[in-house]
Amino acid sequence: MPALLEIRGLSAGLQGRRSITQVVSHVDLDVQRGEILGVVGESGCGKSTLATAIMRLLVPPQVLQSGSMTLRLKDGKSYELLDLPEADLRQLRWRHLSYIPQGSMNSLNPVLRIERQMTDILIQHGLTREEALKRSIAALELVNLEPRLLDSYPHELSGGMRQRVIIAAAVSMRPALIVADELTTALDVVTQRQILQELAGIRDELGATILIITHDMGVVAQIADRVAVMYAGKVAELGTVNGIFESPLHPYSQGLIGSIPREGGQRVEGLPGEAPSPWNYPAGCRFHSRCPHVIDRCRAEAPALLPQGEGRWAACHLYEPEVLSNA
Amino acid sequence: MRDLLAVENLQQVFGGRTRTYAVDGVNFRIPEEPTIVSLVGESGSGKSTIARIILGLLRPTAGRVLYEGTDIFTRDRKWRRKFRSEVQAVFQDPYSVYNPVYKAERVLKLVIRKFGLAKSKAEAQALMEEGLRAVDLRPEEVLGRHPHQLSGGQRQRLMLARVYLMRPRLIIADEPVSMIDAGMRASFLNILLDFRENHGISTLFITHDLSTAMYLGGEIIVLYQGRIMERGRTRGVMQDPQHPYAQLLISSIPRPDPRRRWEEDLSAGPLAEIGAGISAGRDRCLFAERCPAVMDRCWGARPHLQAVDVEKASEASRDVACYLYS
Repeated sequence: MPALLEIRGLSAGLQGRRSITQVVSHVDLDVQRGEILGVVGESGCGKSTLATAIMRLLVPPQVLQSGSMTLRLKDGKSYELLDLPEADLRQLRWRHLSYIPQGSMNSLNPVLRIERQMTDILIQHGLTREEALKRSIAALELVNLEPRLLDSYPHELSGGMRQRVIIAAAVSMRPALIVADELTTALDVVTQRQILQELAGIRDELGATILIITHDMGVVAQIADRVAVMYAGKVAELGTVNGIFESPLHPYSQGLIGSIPREGGQRVEGLPGEAPSPWNYPAGCRFHSRCPHVIDRCRAEAPALLPQGEGRWAACHLYEPEVLSNA
Repeated sequence: MRDLLAVENLQQVFGGRTRTYAVDGVNFRIPEEPTIVSLVGESGSGKSTIARIILGLLRPTAGRVLYEGTDIFTRDRKWRRKFRSEVQAVFQDPYSVYNPVYKAERVLKLVIRKFGLAKSKAEAQALMEEGLRAVDLRPEEVLGRHPHQLSGGQRQRLMLARVYLMRPRLIIADEPVSMIDAGMRASFLNILLDFRENHGISTLFITHDLSTAMYLGGEIIVLYQGRIMERGRTRGVMQDPQHPYAQLLISSIPRPDPRRRWEEDLSAGPLAEIGAGISAGRDRCLFAERCPAVMDRCWGARPHLQAVDVEKASEASRDVACYLYS
């Protein structure tokens, strides 16, 4: 079956006065139907820019530079997201593509009741008032909130409940793809666990596909099926969650996973150095200045994301066929 | 044995008519010998309020904080000056503690000047470089730069360099790694471990992130709504928590291991939100409305911390505030 979302050569950047600074560079990524795909990376690696680009919600000075994104829905319809005019995108968003931006639990309007905020969107998409109310109640049930919550104002709810309202609103049209950016970052661990488990339940119940953007390796390990590791605007490695955590190939993924504090008093080392900012991405492999396995080629030539078998992809010269055969 | 720091019956109540108990009868001590004590809890558990009281930034409603046996709110100015040099703070936000107008190293220069740590300019320079190296910063990547030119991890380590120059006996670190990147966290925590091992500096580490507390080891205090639920050696508590709240909290850590996923699905069933039982008053176990093992007794009176025998002989003591163990 073809991927739900096929991203090819996607680049996005920041428009300056004279030139564009590229933030996300030539990202190729297939989001498979029904999966939870975790996109991880340190701050500034471009993961949120990628999410906004998928939604076509980049705002100046952010600009899309090139690439293509194909959304293939179950009913056979497919859309070239980068070619669609804004009016069509508006119909697509929420109905098929849903986005939960970072910190959105604080974006509820404080002077409107939850009911109004949830149903307005649905009415906007052509539902009647009654249908909208029914859908909202069903969506709240998915996140274990009672219907009476519709009468509340946002300030009456805890952070966890507000985040649930946002999730409920996002899934109320039963979208095919949900993009969630740092969904549980501000919440305590018990609430985080509940919400992530609810999200996994929504995937099972609605058959939705979820792209979860996070810096927290623990969150990814707990709920993702596959993981894309981003570094300096590129996908460094892609694979199943077990594969990435147990045998990371890319030296950056190895460093990232190796620097996770472990229990048992064993010391781990942090990743030396700092991630480059888009204004000074190095030539060649962008990780080469921090890489313990750097070879001459890394300084000159950027590695491509190549298949490594068993659904694993890595962008590293160490794993290119000619290098492997010479070794 | 004398304690470095003793917190006695600490209570902090905010508000007038609707009283909020941020800290409600908290007792703990940090011993003389270098150690790391982690204070963990969800938001609203009172952990930052406790930090602010210990630093002398907030006067408690009741109870006291003793440093080497003396109340920290004493009027003895000389003593307070000594206290302020021996107890140092590292805060959560590595962005807001710097004045953007000055170069980043000003935070080091100020302590050198105020506490007379160097006799000459050359000595001050050498001292700064030593401090930076102690926290894995290369002097050339920091000196002469402005705060915005440094990353969050660099800025937070620079605060540790400042602390290092002061050679305090105790660091109060309030969520110091929550805003820095995963790759940098381990090196920050390693510095705290080095400080304890090589320089005899203790740390009170305040966090909501149990995995960092687990990494630091030492002792742990689990707070819930301003009260201590459980206290003991970090490793023992993490492996075998006794209080139902500690059990829930520790089992909910998102472990970075896809083969050890959460077992039980917590999402099913209605939510018991914090504060749902506010009308029931505070003379009871505050975890009662969320507790899977709740009994009638739990609603009647507040359970106090009591020593509980745990199987492992390696553990010196474990205290739990729960009627299941009395």
